[in-house]
Amino acid sequence: MALAVILFFYAANSEVVWLYLLAYWVAALVLVSFVYSAWNRGFSLDATLAGIRRASGFDAEGLAEEVAQDEPFELDRLRIKITIGSPRGTRGPARAYGKVGVTSMSIAAGVVPKSGGHTEQLLPQPSRRGPVEMSDWWLQSGDPLGLFKRIKRGKDGEVALVLPRFVSLRAQPLVRELEAAVTAPRAGYGTEVFGVRPYQPGDPLRRIHWRTTARRGELIVREFEPPGVQNLGIFLDPSPPEPAAADQVARIAASEAWDCLRAGGRVTLWAPGCEQSRPDEERNLLALLQWLARYPKRSAEAGPPPLVGAAVAVTTKSDRRLLDAIEDVRTHGGPVRAWVVGEAALQSDIEVERAGLGWPPR
Amino acid sequence: MKLPRLLPASPVEESLSGRVFVYLGFGIGCLGVAIYGQDYVVPAVGLAIAALGHIVSYRGRRQKRSISGQALVASMVFASMAYFLADSVGAIFGGVMPQANFAILLVAVTSFDLKTRRNCYSSLWISLAILYLAAVYAWDYLFAVLAGVWFVCLAGFWAASHLRRLGAAFRLPAGAAAVALLAATGIGVLAFFFIPQPQAFPSGPLVVSLPTFSQFKGEIENPALPLVQIQGSTNTVDLRYRGRLGDAPVMYVRTGAPAYWRGLVFDTYSDGVWTSSRRGGTPFPPYVPARLLGPGPDHNLGTFVQTFRLLRTLPGVVNAAYPIESLYVPVGQLARDPYGTFHTPGVLRAGQTYSVVSYIPDLSAARLEQDPMPQFESGDVAWDLEYTALSTDARLLAQHAVEGHTATEYDIVTALTSWLQDNYRYSLEIGHVRPGVDAVDQFLFVDKKGYCEQFATAAALMLRSLGIPARLATGYSTGTYDPVLNQSVVRERDAHAWVEVFFPNDGWVPLDPSPGYAGLPATKFPDRWAASGIARLIPHLTIGAAPAILASAGFLGVIPPAIAIALVVVLAYAWLRRRLVRRRLRAADPPGSSDLLDLYDRLQKRSGRRRAPPETPLEYWGLMQDAPDEAVLEEVTQAVNEGAYAGRWPERARVRELAERLS
Repeated sequence: MALAVILFFYAANSEVVWLYLLAYWVAALVLVSFVYSAWNRGFSLDATLAGIRRASGFDAEGLAEEVAQDEPFELDRLRIKITIGSPRGTRGPARAYGKVGVTSMSIAAGVVPKSGGHTEQLLPQPSRRGPVEMSDWWLQSGDPLGLFKRIKRGKDGEVALVLPRFVSLRAQPLVRELEAAVTAPRAGYGTEVFGVRPYQPGDPLRRIHWRTTARRGELIVREFEPPGVQNLGIFLDPSPPEPAAADQVARIAASEAWDCLRAGGRVTLWAPGCEQSRPDEERNLLALLQWLARYPKRSAEAGPPPLVGAAVAVTTKSDRRLLDAIEDVRTHGGPVRAWVVGEAALQSDIEVERAGLGWPPR
Repeated sequence: MKLPRLLPASPVEESLSGRVFVYLGFGIGCLGVAIYGQDYVVPAVGLAIAALGHIVSYRGRRQKRSISGQALVASMVFASMAYFLADSVGAIFGGVMPQANFAILLVAVTSFDLKTRRNCYSSLWISLAILYLAAVYAWDYLFAVLAGVWFVCLAGFWAASHLRRLGAAFRLPAGAAAVALLAATGIGVLAFFFIPQPQAFPSGPLVVSLPTFSQFKGEIENPALPLVQIQGSTNTVDLRYRGRLGDAPVMYVRTGAPAYWRGLVFDTYSDGVWTSSRRGGTPFPPYVPARLLGPGPDHNLGTFVQTFRLLRTLPGVVNAAYPIESLYVPVGQLARDPYGTFHTPGVLRAGQTYSVVSYIPDLSAARLEQDPMPQFESGDVAWDLEYTALSTDARLLAQHAVEGHTATEYDIVTALTSWLQDNYRYSLEIGHVRPGVDAVDQFLFVDKKGYCEQFATAAALMLRSLGIPARLATGYSTGTYDPVLNQSVVRERDAHAWVEVFFPNDGWVPLDPSPGYAGLPATKFPDRWAASGIARLIPHLTIGAAPAILASAGFLGVIPPAIAIALVVVLAYAWLRRRLVRRRLRAADPPGSSDLLDLYDRLQKRSGRRRAPPETPLEYWGLMQDAPDEAVLEEVTQAVNEGAYAGRWPERARVRELAERLS
């Protein structure tokens, strides 16, 4: 506007008439820029995990395909895709900037089509266990000349959940593991109902679940899990002293859970003050890893320790509630043992294995 | 000691496209100089150097400035300045637009050091200065186009730099950007035409005093009128001869007010020839400031600037609106004759320009009526009252012409002027004056027609016979005035002669007795509202007429605009409402439903029988098996059934396909 005023002043003084035209044009340009900046709004922002560059040494053997391919683990490098959209139609220019984790990112486009524009960036740091969140995001828009700008706060959100690393803590597969690998997919002869599945030739007729058969219109049989399958409870330290110790606790717990699931067992995760893992996810490795990725996550709906057949405590210190839960399992005849991260002494006589902060633990 | 920073640091300009716009802006300035200054070498050299400089600057934009590099640029700047001085003072390189050439070289040199955004802005502003310097020679609409393109370059640089700062590529929504640019242009043009343009106090030309060694060598010679140069002496106007009046432009005058461009003045008439009795001239420097010319008239309304650009070689007379406040003519020296006209040592060459600031005295009828009759004795040569060449019959005719209008000098003057305009015809086709016959008598009593010189001479002598001092002024009438450009194109045929009459309180007042001209051609500020200038081109219509009518209606005058505004609001509301409703309906409708039903309706029309209300679509189709569009009707019927009864309306593309088959 200063330029327009100068031109106007000079037009009035110099009697060069076209300077008036230029002055009005510049003033009109400012006015139109203001209108343009008011029109250039309504952008949306989204961030997703676009890819994973696996850390060296990652062993995906034996993992379910969707876990191995799509889920990020500790030390992986994450490729983040930031998408800026314009639901109201093609707009521009616009810029979005903020943080993903601790990395600053931005996206800018002169033209933002309705379908949106995106950018991808590989996070420079190896990822750490836990949620990767976009935070402190701002959306900037305005006119093409940069005379007016609008800045709007973007929504924070979770981009990815980095799962803890794990290894098999058993050097050789157990005989039971081999057994379970064969028997688990089949309708077994154990005592606990494993689930239902369509009838296959050879299934005993008494295994037919008539109510479901009536409902579905085809023969459905019950599956029973084989006897001796472990129902393992992994009880975790409710408040590790430092993030590195919490990471190690989660890794050991994940490794224990992995070994148990491979042996055909079921796993329940619990920590004092935290909500236990869901019963329908006892055989779901991904769900258990996600629970551990968020560990320690305090919950107001924290309940008592779960009823399990066997228990492993993973802790950094001697926590009374944790030990009570372990004792309770032992009292009911279940086998118990413990992992201690660090040098703390447990006020219990259960079998203890020790681990430092290095990985693998032994 | 560390010096404080006067300006915050400017960021490095990373935008390549922004730099392209900076270079284009410079190119526009150079183009202006090349087109209007007809100087091609320096602009071409400057463009080439600047292109190289931009490349060097862009590549080294992140490198720290070196002392040797800075010293090199500074030395090149000083070299440019040396060039400027040499060209300005000694015209070593031709002396055409030395300031513009200096600015071109300055931009070219500093192009090697364009690192920051501020540097780029500086380059652009100097480009604008180059364009402005070219404007001295620019007298057409093309220049406005060039200026507009320069501003587009400025906007382009803004956009490119801004987008680069954002981190985005130089792309914008084409439609929206085009609409914005067109809207800005439209609003700017409308504002230009419909907002009255204020006038402040025009400043005189910017003068750089440079040493000059040439002296005034000329004399007062050469009347300004080429049309009377065929015969006669060089400082006379001879009514017995006249030249041809062509249409060729003589000069362009950029002016704040249309006026008569006065040249020589003659006070002695004898045997059909006007001469100037007073000789000699007072020398003046090329720039004559106001303080050298004394105070302006008491009844001054303001001042205005005129810039003259000559298109052909003219005698060394400064044609301008008088009285003059100050002037600048790029010659060695000026001289002012006793009539106030300025002269140059030699002829004024084609292509030369000069600027004049003139007063606009209040010469309104109301003011002139207050002037008393001048009290001089008849025949006083010193006061331009000599009229012995006028015949007795002509003197009696003068008394007859003003009979009944002798109350004031103004009455006499206007009465005689009107009488001449009413009773004599303007014509360029007059015969030669016979030997022994006075040219005025032949005009008044024989031919009864003539052109400006006959009318002016007769009026001057007749006024003198009535005791009113008068003299002949020559020069050019306003010419073709363009209110948008504030410019007059003065042609050969605009050469003119008129009378200057002395009023005791107001000095010499121009008076034009020629038919078709205003009797009192006093300079007035034009209506600087560009639209009013346009409106003047339309017969019987003025922009101000409608407001004037409304204003005369008083309070009731509010009603018509109120009705108009209400109408506009209602129409706009209806349009918006209709648009909204249609959008909602479109959103509510399944895709293709309305189009399909339209198509079904068209099919029924084509088949010659509409579906009866009780008929189902299938029944209707069954009865129309012989229809020419039966195949399409079958598919449309199925689609209508699916849509109406199953809610599965077809896609629009499918409906379009069916419609195409139908056509």
